[in-house]
Amino acid sequence: MAAPASVSEKKKMAMEFAVTYAAAGALALACGAVFIVAFGGDVLVALGTVLRSSLGTWGGFAQTLNKFSPLLLASLAVAFGMRGGHFNIGVDGQIYAGAIGMTGTAFALEGMNLPWPVFVPLGLLGGILGGWFWGFIPGILRVRYRVSEIFVTVMLNFVALYLVDYLANGPWNDPLAGDAISLPIPDASVLPQVMPRAGAHAGFIIALAAAVGMYYFMTRTIAGYEIRAVGDNPRAARFGGINVARVTLIIMPTCGALSGLAGAIEVSGFHQSLLLGISGAEGAPNYGAMAILIAVIGRNNPLGVTIAAAVFAVLVSGSDSLQRSIGLPGAAVFVFQAIIVLTVVFVQARRNIKAG
Amino acid sequence: MTAKHVPCVEMYGVSKSFGEVRALDAVDFEAAKGEIHALLGENGAGKTTLMNILSGLYRLDEGQIVVDRREVDIHSPQDAIAVGVGMVHQHVELIGNFTALENILLGREGSRWRLDVDAQRASVEELAANYGLSIPLDEQVKTLPAGIQQKVEILKALYHGADILILDEPTTMLTPHEVDGLFSILKSFATGGLTVVFITHKIQEVLDNCDRITVFRGGRKIDTIPREEATRDRLVQMMMGERGMPPVGERPTGPSAAREGDPALSVRGVRTSAKSGVPLTDVAFDVPRGLIVGMAGISGNGQKELAEALAGLIEIEEGEVHLGGEEVSALSVAGRIARGMSLLPQDRIEEGILPGLSLAENFVLGLHPHIFKRRGVFEREAAHELGRNAIAEFNILARNEHVPAAHLSGGNIQKTIVARAVMLAHRTGGKAMIANNPTRGLDVMAASFVHGRLRELRAGGAGVLLISEDLDELCQMSDRIVVIYAGEILGAFDGPEYDIYQIGALMAGQKEGEVS
Repeated sequence: MAAPASVSEKKKMAMEFAVTYAAAGALALACGAVFIVAFGGDVLVALGTVLRSSLGTWGGFAQTLNKFSPLLLASLAVAFGMRGGHFNIGVDGQIYAGAIGMTGTAFALEGMNLPWPVFVPLGLLGGILGGWFWGFIPGILRVRYRVSEIFVTVMLNFVALYLVDYLANGPWNDPLAGDAISLPIPDASVLPQVMPRAGAHAGFIIALAAAVGMYYFMTRTIAGYEIRAVGDNPRAARFGGINVARVTLIIMPTCGALSGLAGAIEVSGFHQSLLLGISGAEGAPNYGAMAILIAVIGRNNPLGVTIAAAVFAVLVSGSDSLQRSIGLPGAAVFVFQAIIVLTVVFVQARRNIKAG
Repeated sequence: MTAKHVPCVEMYGVSKSFGEVRALDAVDFEAAKGEIHALLGENGAGKTTLMNILSGLYRLDEGQIVVDRREVDIHSPQDAIAVGVGMVHQHVELIGNFTALENILLGREGSRWRLDVDAQRASVEELAANYGLSIPLDEQVKTLPAGIQQKVEILKALYHGADILILDEPTTMLTPHEVDGLFSILKSFATGGLTVVFITHKIQEVLDNCDRITVFRGGRKIDTIPREEATRDRLVQMMMGERGMPPVGERPTGPSAAREGDPALSVRGVRTSAKSGVPLTDVAFDVPRGLIVGMAGISGNGQKELAEALAGLIEIEEGEVHLGGEEVSALSVAGRIARGMSLLPQDRIEEGILPGLSLAENFVLGLHPHIFKRRGVFEREAAHELGRNAIAEFNILARNEHVPAAHLSGGNIQKTIVARAVMLAHRTGGKAMIANNPTRGLDVMAASFVHGRLRELRAGGAGVLLISEDLDELCQMSDRIVVIYAGEILGAFDGPEYDIYQIGALMAGQKEGEVS
């Protein structure tokens, strides 16, 4: 977050922000239009289709909300790390770890007949802990042995993926469902629906709460201040008496916990069982990759990240219909996403060059 | 020098802006063949910028450059050297792993494909002999002392064909002996027909060594006057304008001012590993309460490592550090801060500030575990209030406490860091302050501000360790001076009066008793 500024400065910063993103958005649309035309599609029809299918129907809107929650949580996980100067590319692994934590807790407590207001939070907590642990490993390796967290998180992505593979095919496998899918979790551990007929679960509320929580944590706690200080200039932070190792051991596990919550919500709210492909469907970029893009666009600021995640959720949920309506491959949306990111980065870089 | 100058370099109406800052405003300058010409001015007055334009490092926005009566267009250091302009920068820019000879030949290797060292060695040796520069050509540059490295740079410029030699603050890294040596060489250059331009902010050097003086202030040229017309007062007036010099602070009184009781800081047999930089060997000295102890030494002799070892940033392998009588060697940085140790780091940008965070958030760094009432809570209002007060009390030029620290000027950044350290000292009972080159690169006013705060701490009974490469500053501030060389303390001198040549000899590594 930028420093809380006086009113006129805030206005100026907001203006700058708006100009940057308006320019980037326009450029992205223009580039996207070129692609759509190259694929032989109609630009306006394509855009209309994406918006209508993601926002124009209750069902579509529910799907968009369901995409929004894991995207937002995963992006917050990346942003949280970046604020502290750590590049977390282990979001996928942490999502899987969270999904395992949720599923494991659900199965472990199955016989206790817990009511859902107790069971669901316990399950989510299990997911948070799973993700936390998956973030703690790179954190402690970094602090103790100076191993790059980038290295470790990438490796742990594979470990988590194959752990899910093993669990979903092995001990937790649902013989009726077939390959790589676990037995369903008990009903009382399923996240309640807020729009039961349209099919939207309560995950987005939790995700939004996490964004608000991150904002307050970063600006109103000493730990948050220390994280921002280390992220801004680790050397000066050390000179100021901040224990950088301790800060790292807050950052990485918290990143993991946020991603873990995303994985838990995907299990508890959406899939209701553990399966491969929780972190993004086949043929699409996974949440971890998108989260990095969203964090960049949102400048690691909880509000910016929330808005960017919402835009991405719209695009992702609208992408399926593209193929049906105008014969564009659904992947075209991801090309479009990449264009947005590149243009935002480009416009920001240009502004920096002009300012500097 | 003849009475009539033969202009060799002429610059007319040169202007240069960096962003919104006008660094040079329509400056005229002229230097003659065979003279030593001083450019005098405060940090930021524009003198280095003007010479960076002449030597091709910057491009002028407006203006004209004439060398030997021909207008020239200088786009790069190669262009500059082609017309005979060579510059020796303040910080040596040689390649440490190359020998002196290899460095000198670099960029002028002769044949395009083959580096024929031997053929060129003879001409380098001849040139060195002609100019009276004795240089060990086959030593790796990084093993040479700063004074010799500077000579390598000078010889390199001459070998590349410079007959207009520009030196930027050439004396900052030298001992007093080396300074004398440098100027006698420069005088022989001038007699031999070269043009020497040296940039400085030290008035005495100008009075001692040059033929003409051009004074800069705030990006403008004030005037050029011959040495005979220059007096200290006149130069001060030209340099500082209406503001005048800041009042000279109280002189040090010497070690007798020390207060009773445990020393503020006691360093006992400290040894550090080579892994963390220049290893310290058996460093031992005291900083008594109520004194400023200066630490003299050429840059890179372990000062940085010592400051960091005392602050707790570098591990001590052997020995002890006592703060007001309490052993603190095993404590963390924060633990030492809490017990009254504060540090002004050497590199104010890299080590001092959080550039992207607000000024208020910068002020509370280090204080943050102590000033907030509710545990774990960052009380923004308290931080903002502290920021507002600090800006007012320490006269920091900033719109408000919300601006990012990166937006401040260098002098105001240093003021911010000093303000923070002083506030920290007040909060924690301020036993010891370690100030590592706290005035480097500051203008006279900002430097005087820093000195004033250090004297206040001293008067308040704290012990101040002032590490500096500027011997004048140390003599003016210190009650005692210790000299560090290659990670070892070679000697100590009691003030308030000092013999700078004696100190200089130790700075160059001669142990007491040896004669140079």
